[in-house]
Amino acid sequence: MPPSIHPVDLISALRQKHLTPAIVFLTSRRACDEAMEAFDHANCVLPTTRQEAIAKALEQVMARHPSIAEHPLISIVQRIGVAAHHAGHLPTWKIAIEELMRQGHLDAVFATTTLAAGVDFPARTVVITQSSIRKSRDFTDLTAGEVQQIAGRAGRRGKDHVGFAVITPSPYIDLSVLTKGLTGQPEAIDSQFTISYPMVLNLLKAHPHEHIQGILAKSFAQFQLNQRAEVLEQKLDALHIKMEPFGPRVCTDWITQWHTFDHARRHRHTRHPTYRAEPPEISARLPFLTPGRVVGFSRGRGIVLRQYRSKGQRNSMLTVLRPESAVTECPVTSVKEVYDRTYDCPETSAYPWCSTDTFDRLSHQLEELPLRLPLLPILVSSNNEPLPDAIVQSLEDFSCPTCPSRSACQKDFLTASRLRQEQQRHTKSIQALRTSLWHRFQERVEVLQTFGYLTLTTQLTAEGEWARLIRIDHSLLITELIRAEAFTGADPSLLAGILASLAHDDDRPGAFPRISPGLSSLLGQVRKLAESLSPYEDPPLLRADVAALVERWVADQTLTWIGLCRLTTMAEGDIYRLLARTLEYLSQVQTLKGTHAGLAESASQAITAIRRGVLEELP
Amino acid sequence: MTTDELEQLLAQQPVAVLHRLARGRVQRHFRAGKRRLIELLLQHSSQNRAGFESDLLTLIGERQAGPTSGSPRRHEAPPIAHKKAAIRSSESEPSDPPVSLTEWLQGLGVPAPQPFVQDPWQIEALAAVSETDVVISVPTGSGKTYVAIEAARRAMEENRSVIYTSPLKALSNTKYAEFSKIFGPDKVGILTGDRQENGQAPLLVMTTEILRNLLYDAASGEIDVRLDTLGLVILDESQYLADPERGVVWEETIIFCPSQARLLLLSASIGNPQDIADWLTSIRSTPCRLVRHSKRTVPLRAGYLHPNGKLTPLFRTLGIPQGHPGHLHPEAKHLFMEYEEETLPSGRPRR
Repeated sequence: MPPSIHPVDLISALRQKHLTPAIVFLTSRRACDEAMEAFDHANCVLPTTRQEAIAKALEQVMARHPSIAEHPLISIVQRIGVAAHHAGHLPTWKIAIEELMRQGHLDAVFATTTLAAGVDFPARTVVITQSSIRKSRDFTDLTAGEVQQIAGRAGRRGKDHVGFAVITPSPYIDLSVLTKGLTGQPEAIDSQFTISYPMVLNLLKAHPHEHIQGILAKSFAQFQLNQRAEVLEQKLDALHIKMEPFGPRVCTDWITQWHTFDHARRHRHTRHPTYRAEPPEISARLPFLTPGRVVGFSRGRGIVLRQYRSKGQRNSMLTVLRPESAVTECPVTSVKEVYDRTYDCPETSAYPWCSTDTFDRLSHQLEELPLRLPLLPILVSSNNEPLPDAIVQSLEDFSCPTCPSRSACQKDFLTASRLRQEQQRHTKSIQALRTSLWHRFQERVEVLQTFGYLTLTTQLTAEGEWARLIRIDHSLLITELIRAEAFTGADPSLLAGILASLAHDDDRPGAFPRISPGLSSLLGQVRKLAESLSPYEDPPLLRADVAALVERWVADQTLTWIGLCRLTTMAEGDIYRLLARTLEYLSQVQTLKGTHAGLAESASQAITAIRRGVLEELP
Repeated sequence: MTTDELEQLLAQQPVAVLHRLARGRVQRHFRAGKRRLIELLLQHSSQNRAGFESDLLTLIGERQAGPTSGSPRRHEAPPIAHKKAAIRSSESEPSDPPVSLTEWLQGLGVPAPQPFVQDPWQIEALAAVSETDVVISVPTGSGKTYVAIEAARRAMEENRSVIYTSPLKALSNTKYAEFSKIFGPDKVGILTGDRQENGQAPLLVMTTEILRNLLYDAASGEIDVRLDTLGLVILDESQYLADPERGVVWEETIIFCPSQARLLLLSASIGNPQDIADWLTSIRSTPCRLVRHSKRTVPLRAGYLHPNGKLTPLFRTLGIPQGHPGHLHPEAKHLFMEYEEETLPSGRPRR
């Protein structure tokens, strides 16, 4: 079995059940064209009376739009009563098909799903063949709104009792997308508000800077942002209530206090075990604090009897013989000075850690020490050990361990800190939601100031006054080009070519017609400028082939529409749209009569040159 | 039972049975298509063949006995106990017999010509638009244009001028021709990027971009576009508000629309028309009225056409079962499953 129904079979099935006229939505233009080819040798021709009716109606339309007379699909339309209708066709062809459809002459129209919104004529039946739609190179599932828009074409008011939406499968169709789309509610729409450079200029022209925030606040974008902010504010209120039991305790900000303390505690245990806690200047001393060494304390001096480690102490400990035969224990950190003087002191294993004789001798020697003693120079090696954290050093500063609310803090900390984090997050996002538009506006203002369209007091400069009239995409690039005098002395065809490459945003490939050296060098200039502006504005595609095409159409007045189409592989409809969009851009440039008379003149020449042949047929 | 026999037996079973078998045997079995499911089950059964086979046979037996013993139990079940359960039961069991093809095709044909009668929503919208801003959100083809024409006529009778905008130039041209026929060519003008005719007419058709530009120019005091006599602004296809590239133009137009002019927003069905109305209420001087309904003027039926030419209804009900995408016609379901099995390469999970 074929992966999808053959177009001829589809039409005969629809005819047999009296489900015509129908609109068949296919994936791509190519699919539509292939369906038309399939009818080339089909024998499902219409009875002669209907063929004549179609021919008559076609003649009437052709009288108004002569450009469709040579359309290759005419014979199929006449014989079989089916037609293709997609963006690759000329608008006149589409108008003709719509006209025939309205008069009820056709049995089926094959259209692309991409342009479902542009298919503005009803039929008895719509045929849906796929569940996804091409959006900028990628296929995405149809939304419920799109499915309903497509299905909405089924059923003509006053001509049908019911409309039919018929699904026929093709590979990779997902039936559930379509059934959900048909039975579901259409999606909510969201604002797509963006702040463009011309918008900033026009707003600042009409309103003082301080009023702008109020104007932006009137946008649907801000309305929707406010809605989201309100939801967050409600959450924030709820959080406030939840936070009530966790108010100030012994410390006002006990959460932060406990957090730092807790962090310091954990930190100390994991990364700084007790025996590694000495700073380098202390640990450098350790090898010299041997029994018999004379050391100085903040009050008085002493002789080291032994050095040892104690489990409860962070530092190494010393047993020191102090004046008057006192023996004291102290950490190495309390040693203030290490003197260059040692006495003979063989260590023993029990208190007082030396023999009684030695003890007496040392006590005596301690009393006899001169007032001034030379200090022992100790070299502190820097690579010895990294400095421990300041937090660990100040762990004693915390009052937490002895605080009366310690247990309560410890118990509530996790909940409270989570709540507080959430609170802070919400507050930040609310602030962002309320002010994001204004910030975006300010960013644009700054760019315009650096380029000299606005003064520092956000008044329009002379440049800004005319630049605000260019209200199209890539406006910054266009105004910068005009300021760089890129178009000075350029003839209308060059101007039209460059604007065409700016206006064309379709990436469907086209063949490359011959390009003039003038246009090619100007295009290189434009490309360079566009690259340098890319931080401020998305660069356009700047396709050279469309520029060359439009240049030829403007420069060569003898070129016919057929001749133009032969120059490229682009579809007729695409060429038409390209020229129409170029016209739009040219007419914007034309409004600069007051400041750039020469440029405006050349734009208006280009406009008259473009408007001929097919482009004149439609108003 | 040999492996081949087992595979055949499995292939004969409906997917639901396979899924029940796979429960606890195959991870993420709900993701797999039928072929893949069979493969996975066979893989698993190599460990405990006997247990697998006995489970399969029990399930088959249950299924054959099912229709007699199963149905009364189902009828006793509470109507909606749990959302998930409700969906499953509504998908698997018939409440009424599914609609037949002949029934489905009944009513084909052209209705006898009837005198035009206003829909209630059209009357409501027209009454509202003379007093305040109105947002209309109705399905495609419900007669929005009629409301636009009537509203424009009434405004013009009161010597107020009207602007009608559409998103596409082609659409503007069509409307210009249509309005010229209705009101007379001297009453209608058009302004698009490259066409300006009869610019002083009381009813002006233009693209939304042009109106936006006019409003900007008027705000900076450059041109006098008779904005003080402007009585009504009709924005057709207002769902373009959500267009990624051009949506901003609709917002600008609405923000800068003069306060004495009434706004009439015509839109296809959208999910949140109330939001749009609330927005307008918040920025305009008068509270905005919302007119919405989702009932189509011409009822819709959905069908399924198999590539072999067989046509069946898509849903088990005659119309579209709103909110119940699972109410598929058994025949359509069966045919579509057949189609999927044939076209999907084996081992490849369904998208």
